[in-house]
Amino acid sequence: MGLVFTRLFSFFGNKEARILVLGLDNAGKTTILYRLQMGEVVSTIPTIGFNVETVQYNNIKFQVWDLGGQTSIRPYWRCYFPNTQAIIYVVDSSDTDRLVIAREEFHAILEEEELKGAVVLIFANKQDLPGALDDAAVTEALELHKIKNRQWSIFKTSAIKGEGLFEGLDWLSNTLKSGGG
Amino acid sequence: MSRNDSKYFSTTKKGEIPELKEELNSQYKDKRKDAVKKVIAAMTVGKDVSSLFTDVVNCMQTENLELKKLVYLYLINYAKSQPDLAILAVNTFVKDSQDPNPLIRALAVRTMGCIRVDKITEYLCDPLQRCLKDDDPYVRKTAAICVAKLYDINAELVEDRGFLESLKDLISDNNPMVVANAVAALAEIQDNSSRPIFEITSHTLSKLLTALNECTEWGQVFILDALSRYKASDAREAENIVERVTPRLQHANCAVVLSAVKMILQQMELITSTDVVRNLCKKMAPPLVTLLSAEPEIQYVALRNINLIVQRRPTILAHEIKVFFCKYNDPIYVKMEKLEIMIKLASDRNIDQVLLEFKEYATEVDVDFVRKAVRAIGRCAIKLERAAERCISVLLELIKIKVNYVVQEAIIVIKDIFRRYPNTYESIIATLCESLDTLDEPEAKASMIWIIGEYAERIDNADELLESFLESFPEEPALVQLQLLTATVKLFLKKPTEGPQQMIQVVLNNATMETDNPDLRDRAYIYWRLLSTDPEAAKDVVLAEKPVITDDSNNLEPSLLDELLVNIATLSSVYHKPPDAFVTRAHSSAQKTEDDDYPEGSESESSANPANGPASPPTSSYTIPASVAPASPPFAAPVPDLLGDLMGMDNSSLVPIDQPTTPSGPPLPILLPASTGQGLQISAQLTRRDGQVFYSMLFENNSQVPLDGFMIQFNKNTFGLAAAGPLQIPQLQPGTSARTLLPMVMFQNMSQGPPSSVLQVALKNNQQPVWYFNDKILFHVFFTEDGRMERATFLETWRSLPDSNEVSKDFPSIVIGGVDATVELLATSNIFFIAKRKNANQDVFYFSAKMPRGIPLLIELTTVVGNPGVKCAIKTPSPEMSQFLFEAIETLLRS
Repeated sequence: MGLVFTRLFSFFGNKEARILVLGLDNAGKTTILYRLQMGEVVSTIPTIGFNVETVQYNNIKFQVWDLGGQTSIRPYWRCYFPNTQAIIYVVDSSDTDRLVIAREEFHAILEEEELKGAVVLIFANKQDLPGALDDAAVTEALELHKIKNRQWSIFKTSAIKGEGLFEGLDWLSNTLKSGGG
Repeated sequence: MSRNDSKYFSTTKKGEIPELKEELNSQYKDKRKDAVKKVIAAMTVGKDVSSLFTDVVNCMQTENLELKKLVYLYLINYAKSQPDLAILAVNTFVKDSQDPNPLIRALAVRTMGCIRVDKITEYLCDPLQRCLKDDDPYVRKTAAICVAKLYDINAELVEDRGFLESLKDLISDNNPMVVANAVAALAEIQDNSSRPIFEITSHTLSKLLTALNECTEWGQVFILDALSRYKASDAREAENIVERVTPRLQHANCAVVLSAVKMILQQMELITSTDVVRNLCKKMAPPLVTLLSAEPEIQYVALRNINLIVQRRPTILAHEIKVFFCKYNDPIYVKMEKLEIMIKLASDRNIDQVLLEFKEYATEVDVDFVRKAVRAIGRCAIKLERAAERCISVLLELIKIKVNYVVQEAIIVIKDIFRRYPNTYESIIATLCESLDTLDEPEAKASMIWIIGEYAERIDNADELLESFLESFPEEPALVQLQLLTATVKLFLKKPTEGPQQMIQVVLNNATMETDNPDLRDRAYIYWRLLSTDPEAAKDVVLAEKPVITDDSNNLEPSLLDELLVNIATLSSVYHKPPDAFVTRAHSSAQKTEDDDYPEGSESESSANPANGPASPPTSSYTIPASVAPASPPFAAPVPDLLGDLMGMDNSSLVPIDQPTTPSGPPLPILLPASTGQGLQISAQLTRRDGQVFYSMLFENNSQVPLDGFMIQFNKNTFGLAAAGPLQIPQLQPGTSARTLLPMVMFQNMSQGPPSSVLQVALKNNQQPVWYFNDKILFHVFFTEDGRMERATFLETWRSLPDSNEVSKDFPSIVIGGVDATVELLATSNIFFIAKRKNANQDVFYFSAKMPRGIPLLIELTTVVGNPGVKCAIKTPSPEMSQFLFEAIETLLRS
């Protein structure tokens, strides 16, 4: 209960929640970040490095770190793990070939000691594309049912159309406010 | 050990770094900013804060320009030490290069150019391309300089991406600052390239001249420097250019003035009209004079440049000699330079004034200055014939002061005056001789002795004077000894009486028997033989008329002067040395590597030598030229008795001296990477050449300091390999490399343990700790060149060895493709083909080789040509070696 109280207090104390947006390259992480921040679709190039923006939603300030998803940059994700409250894991639902890699990377992240307390929000992105798997299929492919001792949720999203993103953020802010994770 | 346990090893007390790390990750912007400031402060005082790299880089995306600049500063400093992590900054750079704020765009592209990490460079290209076409001139001019930086990192990339063309386009930019920076960048690139990249055309010329009047002072310097390299098509064009540039002579910045002077001097070469030239000379004088009213340091630079200018165009300052008169409070370095220019400007018209000055200087307190002043009088005497007498009288006055160093210096210059005006001023010799006893400096002594010898017939007591010097002959410096020798010979030839005859005997004896100086000894022998064969001829030689000298001691060679004039207003013109004498540029080092290639070329020639060449027909492998034989000790190895000699260090003297330094062909495996060796990288491999085992080594110094004093030591090993001589590596400057072939001997430090192919090497130098690394001994370097056998001998040997000596091994994955190629390949490693036979669908090949100490090795390879799988059977009197033999054969077949 004490923990819950401090959490509540801290978020109302205008502190920022640190959130990492992870996922394979070309999953749509940067587009999601700027859709959330500015509400519009920006043209992006592969992120070699990171983007960081502050997103205010539901009275919570999210400090959102969008990390490049290319193979060469994935090893450096761990530099950003400490003090992270939540992870948004973005999956390209239409890229069925690489779902296996997406699953492996995902479970590797969950193993990380430093991310033990982080809640996990999965975006099954690119729902606007034909042949995109729905949330149930993605849940299956990522073997989300194996997640233990952690709050998680999955949302169908389309960053281009702006669908599902804020529903996800709603869940996230509620979960964080209630001291989850 | 699980990851959790690592916490026991870290102290509970937090150090500065973890504290900073925490603050850098703080939620609060102010705290983060303060933390970055602390990091920069620590960095500035030299603390290593590179471990905070990601934490600092995470602060990079901020609206706060101050914070951003600090993070950029940090990146420039540490990107090199964290090349992998530096990639995390790329996205921010790309973003910043599109920021609405031009300052941030420029900052980003400038910083990216300063980060010399290959992985980053490729990502720099797109933002750079954008910034070169930016709307804001500040961004464009920064991008222009960035191209030059990028060219230094990766010239090919710059050319491939068309940056040079973009840069040339910027010369036509409407902003003068952009033009100036584009010119500066192109000039910089041109300096580092051997191809013509930046050539001014008449079109760009007018652009540059227009920009010149509008851009900042340093921009003007860039443009003027570029213009001075422009070759005008005719005198008219040159005049026009000069006319446009002359207003720059009035500029307050002395760099602009000097660059303008340089540019005008270059164009003046083309101008034929004497009127125009005279006019220009008149215009250039006042700005040069003005430079001398600046602070002494600037004065010095100006004087060094003026020194060059007056050598080419003395008229410019001919009437301004007074400004070069030394003030009492001038620093000594300025005084010395002024003296030099006064000598150059001295003329019949102003010599009286100048001499008065010199005489004044000769009574000052600073010894060096006084000496130079006295010398200056002498040089004026030599330069101006009509003033010579006046100069000499001043010198005599100075001698009368009897200040020791003045007298000595005067005698030195009077000797030169005698050479310049023979038989004119000898009357003063008497005065000189009065000061004979006070001479204690070698040069003065030598000069006086020369005078005595030269004018022996006019000095009554010449023999006495010389004799007084002769007493201390053995103790005198070489300079004096040589003059004494010559003077005595002259005296003897002029006055062949008894006294001089005795003297000459003494001198020649002394100079031939009791001296270690070869010059002196040789000269004495020549005189001795001349005198003993034909004294008349000796007279003709020794007393021959001497050519009259001129004073050019301080004038530069015309070609050097030309080169220095092109470099006025640079360090080169201050040093009076061409730039490549003190700056190493990228392209000059490229030339060096070309030079390095030469020995390689000659090497391939020598490898055509039938003794060892891979291309040589196998039959001729016995015909070893006799001259090569002594250089290949292992040849003698078959006779065990000789091994004693072999093990001696004498071997090293047998190795041709030039050989160990010749580089060899293929790249060597890296044994000590630069990351472990604090920047020193060592690649090495055992090779065999001319019948001798060498350790072929490549040293690359990537550290910041020169490395020297390299020594090598090999641990005891199965084959007793040891260095046959010392490791000869010259001092390695940072960024350079050296190759060597270290001759090796076998059976010297044998280890007693189980056989192993590991070679442990220890290497030290004067700057670093001792490095240890392991190499693998490849046995095939030990196969000797005389391993070929006749078929009969092969069969006989095969039969004579018991079957228990036969060992075999399968190499399942090896494929023998071409038979000829394989035979040839093995022959290069001294494994010789004997015969081949078919067995069912399989081919069986027989080879022979010889190991050191003459131990024969018989090899049978069974395979289906073209298919994987080779069975290798070997038969040798020492089967304990088989493990290494298989390794060697496998390695060879795989290659």
